Amino acid sequence: MRRLIDTAAEAAFRERLRTWLAENAPSIDKHDVDGLKDWQRRLYEAGWLGLTWPSEYGGQGLGFREQAVYNEEAARAKVPPSINNIALMIAGPALIAVGSEEQKRRYLRPMLTAEEIWCQGFSEPNAGSDLAALQTRATSDGDDYIVTGQKIWTSNSLIADYIWLLVRTDPDAPRHKGITALVVDMHSPGVTVKPLRQLTGEAEFGEVFFDDVRVPKANRVGAENDGWIVGMKTFTRERANISINLSVRLQQQFDRLLAEVQGREIPLDPQEARAVAKAYADGQCLTLTCERLAARLFGFESSVVKVAWAEMNQRLQEIGLATLGPDAPLLPGRGFGREEGETSTWGTDALAGEDDSFDKSWQYGYLRSRANTIEGGTSEILRTVIAERVLGLPRE
Amino acid sequence: MDFSLDEDQTLLRDSARDFLTEEWPVAELRRMLDGGAAAPAAAAIWSKMAAMGWPALLVSEENDGFDLGMFDLAVLMEEAGRSLIPGTLHSSGVLAVAALETLASEHAQRRYLPDMAEGKVKATVGIYEPGSGWNPMLLRTLSAGVVTKRYVPDAADADLILFVNRTSGNDVQIAVARETEARDLQSMDVTRPLYQVSCRAEDLNPVGGGTVAELQAVIDRATIALAAEMVGGAARVLEMTVDYVKSRKQFGRAVGTFQAVQHKAADMLIGIEKGRTAVYYAAAVADEHPDKLPEAASIAKATANAAFVQAIQAGIQLHGGLGFTWEQDLHLYLKRAKACEFTYGDTNWHLDRIAHRLGLS
Repeated sequence: MRRLIDTAAEAAFRERLRTWLAENAPSIDKHDVDGLKDWQRRLYEAGWLGLTWPSEYGGQGLGFREQAVYNEEAARAKVPPSINNIALMIAGPALIAVGSEEQKRRYLRPMLTAEEIWCQGFSEPNAGSDLAALQTRATSDGDDYIVTGQKIWTSNSLIADYIWLLVRTDPDAPRHKGITALVVDMHSPGVTVKPLRQLTGEAEFGEVFFDDVRVPKANRVGAENDGWIVGMKTFTRERANISINLSVRLQQQFDRLLAEVQGREIPLDPQEARAVAKAYADGQCLTLTCERLAARLFGFESSVVKVAWAEMNQRLQEIGLATLGPDAPLLPGRGFGREEGETSTWGTDALAGEDDSFDKSWQYGYLRSRANTIEGGTSEILRTVIAERVLGLPRE
Repeated sequence: MDFSLDEDQTLLRDSARDFLTEEWPVAELRRMLDGGAAAPAAAAIWSKMAAMGWPALLVSEENDGFDLGMFDLAVLMEEAGRSLIPGTLHSSGVLAVAALETLASEHAQRRYLPDMAEGKVKATVGIYEPGSGWNPMLLRTLSAGVVTKRYVPDAADADLILFVNRTSGNDVQIAVARETEARDLQSMDVTRPLYQVSCRAEDLNPVGGGTVAELQAVIDRATIALAAEMVGGAARVLEMTVDYVKSRKQFGRAVGTFQAVQHKAADMLIGIEKGRTAVYYAAAVADEHPDKLPEAASIAKATANAAFVQAIQAGIQLHGGLGFTWEQDLHLYLKRAKACEFTYGDTNWHLDRIAHRLGLS
């Protein structure tokens, strides 16, 4: 234990990465989908993506430590995140865990290159926290399934080529036993996407409608009616990866907050200074906790860091907004004046930036952060998961 | 950073847990409730811990110790905290050892440390003065008259009382206090009595010295060890609470099935995981990056304070009326938590220190 400094190999990796980022970091608007795709492809080609993915599928076959170094350096360099983050953080790792050899060979590499953008279709209007209540139906028809139903809160659905979908294949089985996981081409006839405008004014999410969509059975992931297990494995990876990714963004946000308050003519009062110090201490703890629990993060422990991260970011955004004093409620830049439902991509919010646009303001950060304790599992559900699955309390 | 325990550290943790489960059940601790640190139970467990080599952990090899680092110590202290070990392991084995190793002359180290490593001599250290708080820069400059130190742990039971005084500017001296008057301050944690100790300046026998920064590093390392104990205490409280809410039935079912109960337990775990991270990180920093020690120690203490106080308060709540009784062991953890929270600086004190280092004040 207690290796605080990089090994020689890690140090070399960090040095190469830092140099590369310094030379290649782009400036891309978060709404520039093509620009963000291009940036991800360049990251991949330079060998910085899929670090922990097996090399036979286009990954780098490295360990969590390299991923942590990447996160730190990406935060430091303030580069845009990858546009295909649903694939990189959720669908890809889940496919690696449960997909067939053929599926891994077919889908993983284009995820990394951003040639194929993914979204995840789990939640439905009547199946949110209670995911097992999902009703989107898939009926067997020869070599195909016919899919009908609706998904909601589907991040990146407006730009996605594929959706990682949970459907009900056996309506008569107990709720958890009749669910199946599918990969569905978003360009299939019968798939319609409607943007869902959120309280920030933009549309990271969409509603996805399936109207007799034909899906080859070869696109099933895992066995029929085994989708609940697939979904659970997806979830733990989602929470773990969200937490790791977000601890990076948290660091960026904190650095920005610090720079702002350090530059103020009137120093913070002691209570404000303590609040900032506490946010700093919590942020350090959280980032390090992700590293400490790395080996267990793909289990239910991922909920521990997700809950902590979400509440921590909300607090940080509140502090950031409060530093503006009476200007706090004033919207900078274009504010809500966007075209209704202008597309934006999940995970690209809250980039620390120097300009005064709405996207990069504390006002935006604060508004967006209200979703943190809801997306990827509400904090209420996750606390129940921690109590029942980590601490072993009896189920309700 | 790599947080995993190596083979020796795993062995240390497991053997400490087995030993303490066997040798220091709460029944033993309760025998201290009336007698305090001088009770026979305290003396017995001290000699057994000494036989395990625990007071020698931080002592350098030249002084017949094991010369292990803060990380190993943190692993041990977490176990000690689970079992509410009495104070001597901390006051003598950590605080006094760190003070002597850092500040005392070679001659004085040879004179005291081998005996302390063996457990033959129990030492303690007075630092805090009324008016200084835990900031060594604010210690008053040593002059003739009576020197008074507050919150000196285990002073009545100690064979050796050391005072660290500021002599001028950034210089401090460590001295053996020969003729002392100790007043029990009646800490609510009777297993760790605190004293106000007075000594006339002419009865202080200097045995070494150093800088305020070196003294601060001694306090920071003791702080990390204490934070490790706090995380261990919090973890034990969570275990007791989980066991209880699994078995306690109301409305025909285990109360642990209720969300209001589950979510409190989940928050206890979140706090503990953060605390454990902060402690391990600070311990590793103390061993390898002393330049980052002040910040890491403050993060560890602030986080451990939050974890332990939250855990024990929620633990008592979740035990219902039983948690409020003398019979149930939780109050022992509550009193330990509160005593620890204000030792070496409370949460605000550490947040102020972090804020200062961030350039915010």
